[in-house]
Amino acid sequence: MVFDIARITANNGWAMAVIGAVLVMLGLATLSLIIAQLHKIIGFFENKTIFPPTGKGEAAPAAAADGDVDYLADPESSAKRYKVLTEKLGDPFDLTQLYQLAQRDQLPHPHLTLRTLREAGLLVPAGEGTFSWKTA
Amino acid sequence: MELAYDFLKNTGYAMADWRYLMMIAIGIIFCYLSIAKKYEPLLLLPIGFGIIIGNIPFFKGFGLGIYENNSVLHYLYFGVTTGLYPSIVFLGLGAMTDFSSMLARPKLMLLGASAQMGIYFTLLGALALGFAPKEAASVAIIGGADGPTSIFLTAKLAPHLIGPVAIAAYSYMALIPLIQPPIMRLLTTKKERLIRMPDTERKVSRKELVFFPIVGVLLCCFLAPASIPLLGPFFFGNLMKVSGVVDRLAKTASNAVIDTATIFLGFTVGASTQADVFITPKALTIFFLGSVAFSIATASGVIFAKIMNLFLKEKINPLLGAAGVSAVPGSAREVHMTAQKEDPGNYLLMHAMACNASGVIGSAICAGILWSFMMK
Repeated sequence: MVFDIARITANNGWAMAVIGAVLVMLGLATLSLIIAQLHKIIGFFENKTIFPPTGKGEAAPAAAADGDVDYLADPESSAKRYKVLTEKLGDPFDLTQLYQLAQRDQLPHPHLTLRTLREAGLLVPAGEGTFSWKTA
Repeated sequence: MELAYDFLKNTGYAMADWRYLMMIAIGIIFCYLSIAKKYEPLLLLPIGFGIIIGNIPFFKGFGLGIYENNSVLHYLYFGVTTGLYPSIVFLGLGAMTDFSSMLARPKLMLLGASAQMGIYFTLLGALALGFAPKEAASVAIIGGADGPTSIFLTAKLAPHLIGPVAIAAYSYMALIPLIQPPIMRLLTTKKERLIRMPDTERKVSRKELVFFPIVGVLLCCFLAPASIPLLGPFFFGNLMKVSGVVDRLAKTASNAVIDTATIFLGFTVGASTQADVFITPKALTIFFLGSVAFSIATASGVIFAKIMNLFLKEKINPLLGAAGVSAVPGSAREVHMTAQKEDPGNYLLMHAMACNASGVIGSAICAGILWSFMMK
């Protein structure tokens, strides 16, 4: 096999090499620019309910996912959210099970929230270690 | 007596010649390297054993060989010639890839692009040596240091070269510890190799990780639609991983699916190196050009990193450029180890993985671009 530069020209090789190299550089440079700004763009258009939290990455979205409820400062709102969880448990229910469900759904601070609900009198003892919701 | 003589005449022992024996020896060396030296064992072991199987001489016409219709090997080889296995491998690769280090350091993506220059230099070299344009493109893609991408493009452009191209690509990937360090040391000063990269990169949010495969697939595949069969499954696999809602699928893609495809890909590519169709002057030239492609790719990454340093306030370690080839994670590991030899406290692995990940995307884009060029 003989090395012959003329074959490159004959097969349009120079143009292919230059355009190909420029295209891949441009493509990845553009992608690089976009991902460098991605967090800003996401921050701008953030719709916090789209992404259910998984526990990976950010720590905050779990709290945000539930419509910005402050579970510790607003026991009434948190009671509403926790009542949904206890529907499947029946009445009375075990606090440990409720705690596990809250953890599964990645609600923020489930232990502190349950304590707050108890201290606010919204969760009332029903005997034998079980609890019920306070009736109106 | 005549029956016994005919039988003996049709055994592999009687039909073997030096070409088959040489290929079987190469197969055994591949198996040795994978088992004893642990050089890319997931690839070299299936390929090595495939080479041994593919080079057992047999009586043509029985439907035994990989190039004979209706043979089992031929059916398994279908996944290679159609580009099916590479796509599946990319799906699994996407499900295994963590882009967070790349998203935290987007400027390192440029190193992944610059390391693709080896592809285009080799394209020129192959054309000058008399390869037809489609063959030249298939040989050039070896510079991307990505086995599945090389196989995919060769299957589309020059199927008769799949064996040599695949073996060359995987061989050089396995030989990264021998090929890359001398080039890295030659092109960098000790002072440059001692540069430490900052550890205080920003934390990448889950939303960014979820958006990236969508943005990535749109941008890359709009630029080079021919890369859809590779980048489509790649970014889909990654979306499955980062979305967190289909963990089962992501785990299957990153385990059983990619493993199955890798087994059949490696084994059939190995078996396709049948001596009578593999040992040709062209194959030897492909091996030579492959090593040139890989070396230029490594060098261009390192040189580009040095050029970037001329403009950057915060210098980057130019060794990272060598990780811009898409041999994941071999080249990233080699960059890290080369840096650690100079300074045991210098941890470049995560930065090198960022370059590696962009190298995978870059080489798939290059494959798409080359394929588009050859469609005329």
